[in-house]
Amino acid sequence: MIDVLPPFTLYLLGALLLPFLPKGHVRGLLTIVVPVVGAWWIWSAPEGLHGQMTWMGLEMVWMRVDKLAVVFGLVFSLAAFLAALYAWHLRDTVQQVATLLYAGSAIGAVFAGDLVTLFLFWEGTAIASVFLIWARRTEGAYATGMRYLVIQISSGVILLGGLVLQYHDTGSIAFEAMTLGSLGTWAIFLSFGIKCAFPLLHDWLQDAYPAATVTGTVVLSAFTTKLAVYALARGFPGTEILIYIGAVMALFPFVYALIENDLRRVMVYSLNIQLGYMVVGVGIGTELALNGAAAHAFTGILYKALLFMGLGAVLFRTGTAKASELGGLYKTMPVTMVLCVIGAASISAFPLFSGFISKSLILSAAAHEHHNIVWAMLLAASAGALIHTGIKIPYFAFFGADSGKRPKEAPAHMLLAMGLTAALCIGLGVFPSVLYDMLPYEVDYDVYTTTHVITQLQLLLFSALGFALLMKAGIFPMPQRSVTLSSDWTYRKAGPAVVWYVGLAVRASWRGTSGLIAKLYADFIKAMHASAGPDGARAANWPTGAMVMNIAILLGIVLVVIFVS
Amino acid sequence: MAGDVEIREVAMTLHAQLPALQIVVPFMTAPLIVFFGKRETAWWLAFLSCSVSLVISYLLLMQVIGGGFISYQMGGWAPPLGIEYRIDAANGLILFLISLVATITMPFAYRSIQAEITRSHTLFYACLMLCFTGLMGMVITGDAFNVFVFLEVSSLSTYVLVAMGAERDKRALTAAFDYLILGTIGATFFVIGIGFLYMATGTLNMADLADRIQGQESSRTVRAGFAFIVVGLGLKAAMVPLHLWLPRAYTYAPSAVTVFLAATATKASIYVMLRFMFSVYQPEFVFHTNVLQILFIPLALLAMFGGSFVAVFQTDMKRMLAYSSIGQIGYMLLGIAMLNQSGVSATMVHMFNHGITKAVLFMGVGAFVLRAGSSFYDNIGGLGRKMPVTGAVIVIGGLSLIGIPGTAGFVSKWLLVQAAFENDMWPIALLIVLSSLLAVIYVWRVFEVIYLQAPNEWSEASDPPMTMLVPMIILAVACVYFGIFTDLSLGAAGTAAEALLNGSFGMAEPSLDTSALPLDVPHGAGDAGADATGGDH
Amino acid sequence: MAQFKDDPEKLPWLGRKLMLFDDKKNVDRLVYGLYALCALLFLADFFYKKKYYISAENFPGFYALYGFFACVVLVLCAKVLRRFLMRDEGFYAPQDTESEDHPDHDLGKESHYD
Repeated sequence: MIDVLPPFTLYLLGALLLPFLPKGHVRGLLTIVVPVVGAWWIWSAPEGLHGQMTWMGLEMVWMRVDKLAVVFGLVFSLAAFLAALYAWHLRDTVQQVATLLYAGSAIGAVFAGDLVTLFLFWEGTAIASVFLIWARRTEGAYATGMRYLVIQISSGVILLGGLVLQYHDTGSIAFEAMTLGSLGTWAIFLSFGIKCAFPLLHDWLQDAYPAATVTGTVVLSAFTTKLAVYALARGFPGTEILIYIGAVMALFPFVYALIENDLRRVMVYSLNIQLGYMVVGVGIGTELALNGAAAHAFTGILYKALLFMGLGAVLFRTGTAKASELGGLYKTMPVTMVLCVIGAASISAFPLFSGFISKSLILSAAAHEHHNIVWAMLLAASAGALIHTGIKIPYFAFFGADSGKRPKEAPAHMLLAMGLTAALCIGLGVFPSVLYDMLPYEVDYDVYTTTHVITQLQLLLFSALGFALLMKAGIFPMPQRSVTLSSDWTYRKAGPAVVWYVGLAVRASWRGTSGLIAKLYADFIKAMHASAGPDGARAANWPTGAMVMNIAILLGIVLVVIFVS
Repeated sequence: MAGDVEIREVAMTLHAQLPALQIVVPFMTAPLIVFFGKRETAWWLAFLSCSVSLVISYLLLMQVIGGGFISYQMGGWAPPLGIEYRIDAANGLILFLISLVATITMPFAYRSIQAEITRSHTLFYACLMLCFTGLMGMVITGDAFNVFVFLEVSSLSTYVLVAMGAERDKRALTAAFDYLILGTIGATFFVIGIGFLYMATGTLNMADLADRIQGQESSRTVRAGFAFIVVGLGLKAAMVPLHLWLPRAYTYAPSAVTVFLAATATKASIYVMLRFMFSVYQPEFVFHTNVLQILFIPLALLAMFGGSFVAVFQTDMKRMLAYSSIGQIGYMLLGIAMLNQSGVSATMVHMFNHGITKAVLFMGVGAFVLRAGSSFYDNIGGLGRKMPVTGAVIVIGGLSLIGIPGTAGFVSKWLLVQAAFENDMWPIALLIVLSSLLAVIYVWRVFEVIYLQAPNEWSEASDPPMTMLVPMIILAVACVYFGIFTDLSLGAAGTAAEALLNGSFGMAEPSLDTSALPLDVPHGAGDAGADATGGDH
Repeated sequence: MAQFKDDPEKLPWLGRKLMLFDDKKNVDRLVYGLYALCALLFLADFFYKKKYYISAENFPGFYALYGFFACVVLVLCAKVLRRFLMRDEGFYAPQDTESEDHPDHDLGKESHYD
């Protein structure tokens, strides 16, 4: 039976309780307290398998505690805490409940010891998180949320299919390291890959996250994708194909990050790139590399949150996060600016900032295993990260061409949340052993060697030099109000266009969900509606005679079948 | 302690008479209700008799859940001359389902019927009891012709019950008429089939039939009988394409009747079909005649998709649920067609789980009808917010209908997918999952209507009275309970499937070991002349 | 840099200090500082013993050059690709959040010049 309650129950309780509390600070306090208690809960849970139960003959494990799970569980709790603090001003019950359930599901999934439990929480994160997008309450957000939901749920359905196949093959639903091979493992891999935003499966990420609310994006940035990284680290460590997937992931979004106008979306591309590093780490699969992946997820959640918070604050005060509309805010939002720069320095992996201590692990792991090309790609991505995030975000938001906007400084609770996060970013950068001690494997790695510090500074400052020269030469692409085409064009534009030109227009309500798949569906559905709808033949009230005819025909067929057999 | 012994003897006698009481109690209640003729009394009698039936069916189910069967000879006449009641895990589970739903529907019906029908309440309850008796009888009996008799008892009363919806909507009359015509054809086919069997074997007792059919599987008479029985029962079970009577009957019948019928009527027919296919005819016979492969699988798939597609586009929640039922019956047929342990278990469990799920949902609709006057989406918009408990119950029922893990619906679909895998029918497994997505759509539409639409400004709807609310809550809890604790449903279904696939209605194996009972059964005791045949497992 | 003359009284403390970047000269000084730092770092490579795993790393100034060229090449790539990838903001409208304003209920707009 259940000896240690999974932390999810705490979040669930919180979410159930919240609507009954008086609106205002009490609710805010609840959302802050739950992650703190949850973290303590995780911290004090003894290692091993807890909460085992048999359900329909399946051995379910609600709580598997080991170092890998704990490190993710803790950083998720931390992220939930910081996000709640940042959202102190929020008076939206839907978002507060969704945040608790979302964080709770993500943590629940991390501790899931079997695939069925994982699946339950996997879908839980999908369903809870979409409300953070819908909370924007605009038509665009509704459509985006629908697209997001379709893809997230599909990931879950594929996981379900995979786990059924896996169960069929192995007779076990335990969530352990797997080897790619059977259809089941591939399905599970694909499902993880969708959530992890593998190249070409990634568009939901850039589509959905910037569409959320100010606070919603901060929450979203922490959980789903890192959960996928955790799942990969748990299920497919050392799977070679991940190295190459990760390397591509780390490099190609650069182009998009550079030309994207919406700074929050730039951040999402950058998030995608950071995921690439983690995926490479998981793919290499050595102790150093897996430590690197876990560490990078940990630091990544923090500095991403910091930057999303900073941009959120800008959005909160000005109503936009678009590079083309911003600029020159450094005088009126100086604290936010400084904190954002700290986040930018962390993501660019400057020594003494958190990104440095985690990214180095992965790069070193790649070098140790002599994946030279991958290593070179990651290095280039590091240089790129400085440009498209480290410099671009602060530069275009706070410096650059003056937009004439003079917003007030972010509210105190936002500054507090950002300040804490920034302190953590620097703290981890200065005292790497704090994080290293939490990692799944023993760390025997000195990050602050002369070689390492100097080479890293060279890499970064010369990239900055490149940026400065390109700016001077007027070559650097300046932000413009625009959207950028990506593979989602196939399902958001091409498909619908084809469908349109063939003359198969569909009703406006269906246009909402859009997408090639949705459009084709809609078309199919229109046909179905003609036959199956309330006025269609199959739903009509048939005359009795016709029904009797059916009976006769069926009887005839049955007789023939039986006599012929 | 003579008195003590006496009491124990009486208890034992009663115990031995349970199979007869299962039918006699509700059957006698019907005339009693008419005799007393008062609305209140009628309801109390009906409720009491259903409750007693529920207890009896539970006791019976507990005896057979582990395997074996109970044989009861009506009036002491030994089969094949006399009528035999024969209970094993398969019909035990269905008896339990029917009486459970009937008992829970009764409190619900009280207010719901008051609101929807103004006259003849006593006759209504009498009819309902007859219908209940008929369904129970169909399931419990081990005599082929007796099945037909009870089938007619239940059908005739059903026609009346459906027609009683005419007060709310006149179309109930045509719906009832259609159902009458078609139901009669179905029953006729069934009885023709039995006629063929009688011609070939000269017996009507199912166990006996099973024995005598062996060796003449290739006889045209036997085969034609099979065709007629399958089509006749298929019609009663609303198997596509013989389902056309169902949507209208369910839509226009009074809410309480719909709850009861949707949860039980088709299930009873499917059970009888299973019984005839596997116990009277043998699984091998069914397999060799290719009926399952050529007919059931495509028809089941057609039902799963066709029914669901129509449900997606409905604008009336009651009608939507009716079409969804057609789709769900597809799953049950598919389970049979898999012809393996998991598949038949899936069918059995799905009958049970879908029974309670649909009962919840139709009750929810009934509550809407009570408050909003109709079940059209236009009228029930936003009601989930005005009627929070009803809304919550519908959400749970809806999730179970989709088959979300943790609800009853998941258990049966999971088994069904397993069954498809066991037969290496990957595409079918995939189609099961796909059709579940359709359920997501039509259920989501309901959620959207009742939660996301703004309620009518003037609407003062609130949750229905306790008598309706409590049954809904009980069933909603059951939906979750049977999704998590599957011992009862899955256990009985597993045993049932095993017995069914062994064929021969227990002829091959001895019946229940009655010596395991607390007292020796006094042979010949009791005026009905019961005889529980003994033996070892 | 500034098109508007800011009123120092209305700015927060840190903002007033940062007004020094209103002067273009100070910005230029920052850039020159970067140049100098780069030069120093490049030279630093000749004064310590590098530990390395991949032979290319040992090439003096490898990281500096790699960083610089990687960044320039990537930016140029982006510049070219932008021609093909950029679309008008209303491209996906109305199914897109890009073309609509962020709803006010989610914001707390406040300006120093209100």
